[in-house]
Amino acid sequence: MRAAAITGWVLRERRRSLTLWALALMAVCAMYLAFYPSMANQDMEAIIAGLPEGLVEAMGWDAIATGAGYLESTVYALLGPALLLVFGIGAGAGLIAGEEEAGTLELETAAPVGRRSLLLQRHLALALGLLLLCTALAAMALVLAPALDMGIAASGIVAASVGLYLLVLAMATIAFAVGAASGRRATALGVAAAVTVLAYIADALAPMVEGAAWLETISPFAWYLGGEPLTRGVDAGGVLALAALTLVVLAAGMIAFERRDLGV
Amino acid sequence: MPADTVIRTEGLVKDYRVGSRFRGGGSVRALAGLDLEVRRGEVFGFLGPNGAGKSTTIRILLDQLRPTAGRAEVLGTTPRAGGPALRARIGYLPGELRLSGRATAGELLGHLTRLRGGRGAERIDECAQRLDLDLSRPIRSLSKGNKQKVGVVQAFVHAPELLILDEPTSGLDPLLQQEFLSMVREACDDGATVFMSSHVLSEVEEIADRVAIVRAGVVVDVDDVAALRHHAGQQVELVFAAPVAADDFADVPGVEQLTVSDRTLRCLLRGEPDALLKAAARHHVVRWSAQDRELEDLFLDFYRVPPSEVRRDSTEVR
Repeated sequence: MRAAAITGWVLRERRRSLTLWALALMAVCAMYLAFYPSMANQDMEAIIAGLPEGLVEAMGWDAIATGAGYLESTVYALLGPALLLVFGIGAGAGLIAGEEEAGTLELETAAPVGRRSLLLQRHLALALGLLLLCTALAAMALVLAPALDMGIAASGIVAASVGLYLLVLAMATIAFAVGAASGRRATALGVAAAVTVLAYIADALAPMVEGAAWLETISPFAWYLGGEPLTRGVDAGGVLALAALTLVVLAAGMIAFERRDLGV
Repeated sequence: MPADTVIRTEGLVKDYRVGSRFRGGGSVRALAGLDLEVRRGEVFGFLGPNGAGKSTTIRILLDQLRPTAGRAEVLGTTPRAGGPALRARIGYLPGELRLSGRATAGELLGHLTRLRGGRGAERIDECAQRLDLDLSRPIRSLSKGNKQKVGVVQAFVHAPELLILDEPTSGLDPLLQQEFLSMVREACDDGATVFMSSHVLSEVEEIADRVAIVRAGVVVDVDDVAALRHHAGQQVELVFAAPVAADDFADVPGVEQLTVSDRTLRCLLRGEPDALLKAAARHHVVRWSAQDRELEDLFLDFYRVPPSEVRRDSTEVR
């Protein structure tokens, strides 16, 4: 398995951290869903009606009384992406720039491996690690939603999980690619975090501010949840946009990585 | 490039950018036209003080850095064009080796040989034993010296055609330095070429055939080691039982910078000590010492480029 030796090595080195993150995501998902039966028994509609309309829209609570709405507002729109983005952006910035700054990448870059191959193998490790975490989260939701009678189709959970995976992969790839291009971990973290926050704000503002609906078309958060995947299934346009963003950013990072000085 | 030349650089220049590109940052010249030629089968010492450009040169040979100007050729190709196929023929020990992680030393060495298609995997145990390296310990728990051993093993284990070693003995205790030197000799006997840098002459003089001295990004001298040692000379101090006359020693071959004060003679001795010893033996010698001069003193002699001509911005860069 020489072809993916670096991918295997990176995942092995991080297997403990990946396991802990997977368990944390499953625990968060289980904890929120466990509250669903008691929430559903109360008059949620009445509580929501008492809140300012803008807040309800911004937080996406307009459908919180339904099972799908509850799962989305708690897990898929809030803690799922938050936790996964923290992990993904951190890992993305660390895999090239972080290890390069620490000096631990030098033996690998001096080995008979091309820079392109090295970069793609490390990105593959990032993609597989995130896939594992998203799968763990989805598995928990797929088990608990029917058990708690939430009335969500399994296909909806799969669709939302695919979208979540692609969103997190895109943002983590921004951190990875900026790190590969600059060799600076702090720059990679900063750029990816800024893009993520701007994307989130754009998505939240779009429905509230008159004439700002166009913001939804450029926000990766909107590409992920705008099509309401939990109830309507896969949003092909959103999925393609997220995948395209990942590929373009990765390609740009690769070109810069092949050209620059390493470890300076 | 002739068939027997393994490394050649011509007018190699490397500038590093410093500061922000947006706030008028300038550049620092680490290499200012470095010429070098290493022949097949030799042990070549690359000597210079810290910041002279040794690591920069080496990292260009490994295609970690791209030259600003000039040309570098390794085994008949440029580092960039040679790519992975070229690096497969090189064993490299970085100057600032950094290793971390939960994996054991053995697992890391296994990983690195897998990147070389498995070449050398069967020799890991033997190499580690020679250097007394415990392969079962996690890398992050290893001392600096033990990490350096991991670095030495991964450079030698696949029996490369060319060994490029940046300050290889730093962190190794004297006993292991001897073991390391015997590994270098064996590699040479098997036909390998060794290019090793150091900032201490004594580290390479025992093993090197030829030595280049680099200062402020240019090679100021290339010599065989014996000639270099001759140039370097020794700082000699003799104490006699009774006062001696300076005239008795002034014409002794090899004696320079002679000072005699009362019973003590000090001089710089180049070449064989025989004539000086015979001249001294005519008197009663009560104490003597002869010290190899430090590399830094050597540079004062080898200042073929006066300091004023060295670019002012040639400051220390890794």
